[in-house]
Parts: sequence; structure tokens; C-alpha cells
Amino acid sequence: MRARSTLLLLLPGLAFLLVGFLLPAVAMLFAPPGVTFAQVIERMGAMLTDPYDLGIIWRTVRIGLIVTALCVVLGFPIASLLARSQSRWAGVLLALAIFPLLLSNVVRTFGWLVVLGSNGVIGQLLTGLGIVEKAPQLLYTELAIVLGLVQLFLPLAVITCYSAVAQVDPGLDEAARGLGASRTRSFWTILVPLSLPGIVVAATLVFAGSVTAYTTPYLLGGSSQRMLSTQLFSYASVTVDWAAASATAIVMTVLVFLVSGISALVGRKGATS
Amino acid sequence: MSRGLKLRHPVAGTLAVAGYVIMIVPILFVVATAFTAGSTLRFPPEGLSLKWFGEALAYSPFMEAVVSSLELAVLATALALVLGVPVTLAIHRGRLPGKGLLEGLFLSPLVVPELVVGLALYQQLMIGLHLDNFTTLLLGHTALLLPYAVRVTGASLALADPALEEAARGLGASPLRAFVTVTLPMLRPGLISAGLLGFVTSFNNVPLSLLLQTRDFRTLPVTMLDYVQQSYDPMVAAASTLVLAATVVVAVVAERTVGFAKIFGGINR
Repeated sequence: MRARSTLLLLLPGLAFLLVGFLLPAVAMLFAPPGVTFAQVIERMGAMLTDPYDLGIIWRTVRIGLIVTALCVVLGFPIASLLARSQSRWAGVLLALAIFPLLLSNVVRTFGWLVVLGSNGVIGQLLTGLGIVEKAPQLLYTELAIVLGLVQLFLPLAVITCYSAVAQVDPGLDEAARGLGASRTRSFWTILVPLSLPGIVVAATLVFAGSVTAYTTPYLLGGSSQRMLSTQLFSYASVTVDWAAASATAIVMTVLVFLVSGISALVGRKGATS
Repeated sequence: MSRGLKLRHPVAGTLAVAGYVIMIVPILFVVATAFTAGSTLRFPPEGLSLKWFGEALAYSPFMEAVVSSLELAVLATALALVLGVPVTLAIHRGRLPGKGLLEGLFLSPLVVPELVVGLALYQQLMIGLHLDNFTTLLLGHTALLLPYAVRVTGASLALADPALEEAARGLGASPLRAFVTVTLPMLRPGLISAGLLGFVTSFNNVPLSLLLQTRDFRTLPVTMLDYVQQSYDPMVAAASTLVLAATVVVAVVAERTVGFAKIFGGINR
């Protein structure tokens, strides 16, 4: 293919990428309407010293870490059971784990309103069985956000771990078992270390998704459990504070880039050692 | 050797079951409450009825939003494929310096938080350049879907042998004819996967679309979110159940055409 025709193939896509993504993103960070970049930086400085804003950043990171840990702990066993099973049910169960990825986040999150709400399933169950007198407040708590986010991102963890486990030669497990290792031992010494790069990718995707998700903290956290995303929306849409919105956007983007960067480094180091 | 799906290790088995409960059970409760005859979003439903489905289908903000979301998703997906496939061809078949960098550039919309991109488009295009919100949404959704178009069709193209196209050219076919008759059929699974993924991603999108809503053009997921904030009745559960049913249809189409699991294989890495 000649250089000129290659360029012609690239140009329309490149133009769209510039107008629909790159230029606005850069312009927003450096020069929001009527605000200077210095003011954005100043607002960010204030944010990083203010206890309320710091609380939101810390809540976002904390929820991201808890959700990531839970998704790996629940997702890896599912992936390894499915990848190592020869039952035809394994295919059905895999499809059942992937299906939610096609389904609207809004629909998936609504379910928790029914489960955790004031007339919710769990509340009724607890009072009905006489365990508690009054149904505890479950909705609009950090627990609700964590549950909602685990539901959203577990399919992603399962499918990423699944491709990692599927690449590990089953002969290695069998060799270890043949040499007398228990199932638990071959799981920890063969399967987990050899799938580690996939687990790191899964954890990164889940963390990045959790700290930027909007629907879940909006529906299940309400205004008392603000995360960076709901705070950003409020700055941009309710108070129309462009400097604060841009500053929050920078904090969120840096957080995602930082974690993706660290995981890329970990992945590379794992590959060479 | 026939090994069933025995939960061979009690701890792993328990964790796996817990994972499935969290993934699936809340969705089942949405469906169950949609069939209630009562007027609150609660389980168990107070009597069975289809009335909330009727209400949802007659509620014009939802119906208008369905049309808007479909229109946006179809156009954005088509545009992303029309723009993205040439880019894939250039990256895989062209002689270019810095191919990795170029591919990275086209995948970059996946890395920046969508809410941040939405804020940027709202500020710079809608407020700054006075673009209307449909154009802005279409630009944003197309840019968001470009990574899928480039990467997923790229995976198909990587499997296609360039020698076949060269053979067609050698036998006298024009470049366009060689592309349409040789390369395009090999790209088919990638095109279907990218198309389905793109459509679903655009149709369900909240964070990118959130700040780009106006009274004239609103998307369905954001309209549903706003509705729950105002009233807590089962109509939204009925609407959700209808969305779920439509998604099942998409999943079946996906399974019949390229295979369900394969579709998601291409985007992760």
C-alpha cells in the first residue's frame, strides 16, 4: 500500500478522533470557559487540602480497592472452575456470566433498589425472621455501592481471568497432582502464579471502572455517599463551577492513569523475571 | 474422562456461587417486581398484573428516548465502522512508522473516564461552539466506539493472509475489487462483533451522555435514571424488563452469528 493511500485511509478517522475526543479533552483540562488554567490548579490545590474533598477522593479509592479485591476473589474461582470443567453446563454458566456485559448498567443497578430499599427483600427478611426490630438502612450506604459495583464488574473479571486460566496448560496441574500435590496446593503454586498477568489486567480494569462509574454511586449512594463521579456531575451541572469540575476531572483521570501505569509496570516486570 | 461441574473445592465453590448470586439475582428481582399489581417497587409483588408494562409503553418520555437512543446507537456504530475499518487497514497493511503509537491513539478513548470526556464535549462543543446536543452526542459516541471498530476488526484482519489479496491483484482485480471480494468477507466476524459491541455500548451509555442531554433529545438510560429519582413506582421495573428482553434477543443473535464468548475476546487486551 502506498504512503498516500494509507494516509487517505487514516485521515477521516483521525479527524473524528480529534474533534470528538482529543481536542475537547485537552481544552477542557487547560482552559474551561471563563476560567484560567491557574484557577483550575488553584482549585485542585484547595481540593487536596480540604477535608470534605479529600474524604470524597479517599472514599472513591477505598471503594475501588474493595470492589477490585472482591471481584478478583469471586471472579477467579468462577473462571478457573469454568475453564477447567468439561461439563456442557460450563458453557451455559460462562454465557450467564458474560450476558450482564450486554445489559444496561441502569437496569442491573435497579435490582439493588428492590433488594436493599426500605421495603427491600433483605430488610423484610431480617425483620420477618425477628433478627432485628427495624430494618437497617442499607440503601445509600457504602455497602450498597460496593455490592452494586461488584455486580457490574464481576463479569469483566470473570472473562479476563477465564482467558488467562484457559492459557495455562492443564497438563501442568495434572503433573503437580501426579507428583502428590493436593488440589489446593496445585491451585496456589501452578494456576494462580501462571494466571497472574491476567489477574493484574482484570484488577486494573475493575479498579478503573469502579472509580469512574456514575450510575451506581448515583442510585445506591445518593448525596450522602458522594464519589468523584457524582461530585463531578454536581460541579458541572448543579453548581456550574467549571474550575472545580475540571480539577475533579483531572484528579479522576490521574488516578486511573496512575493505576494503569503501575499495573503495566508490574505486568512487564512479571514477564521478564 | 467425564468430569461434571462438581464444585471440587468447597471454598472455591462457595465463592463462585456467591459471585453468581451477586451478578444475577438483583436482575431477577427487577423482573419479578415488574409484574406487580400494586403501586410500589417491592418484593414480593402485591398481586400479578401487566399494567406497568402498559404504563411504560404509553409513557411518552420513555418511548421518545427509545427512538433517540436507537437512532444514536445505529448512526454512531455505522460511522465508527466506516471510519474505523480504513484505519485498521492502514495500521495492519500500510507501511507506516509508529504503528503502535497510532493504534494507541485510536484506543485512547477507552482510557480516559467517559464522564470526563462528556464534560469536555459539553463545555467545548455544546457551550463553546454551540453545537446541538445530537451532533455532540454523535461525535462523542463515534469516538468512543472507534476503539472497538479498530481493535475488534483488527483481530480479524490479523488472521487474514495478505497474500490472498495480493493474488487477487496479481490476477488483475482493482484494489477496490480485491478488497470487497477477498478482504471484506474475511473481516465479517470482526465487523459483526464490533457492530454488536458498538451498538450495545452506545445504547446503554450513561457517563458520556449524561451531561449532553436536552429536552429535545434525551437518551433512554439517562431518562430512566431521572425517572427513578422522581418516583419510585414499578413502571421503571417494567421498562427495565423490556430492555432486558431486548438484550436477550441481541445475545441470541450474537450467539448465532459469531459466538457469544468470542465477541468479548477482542476488547480486553
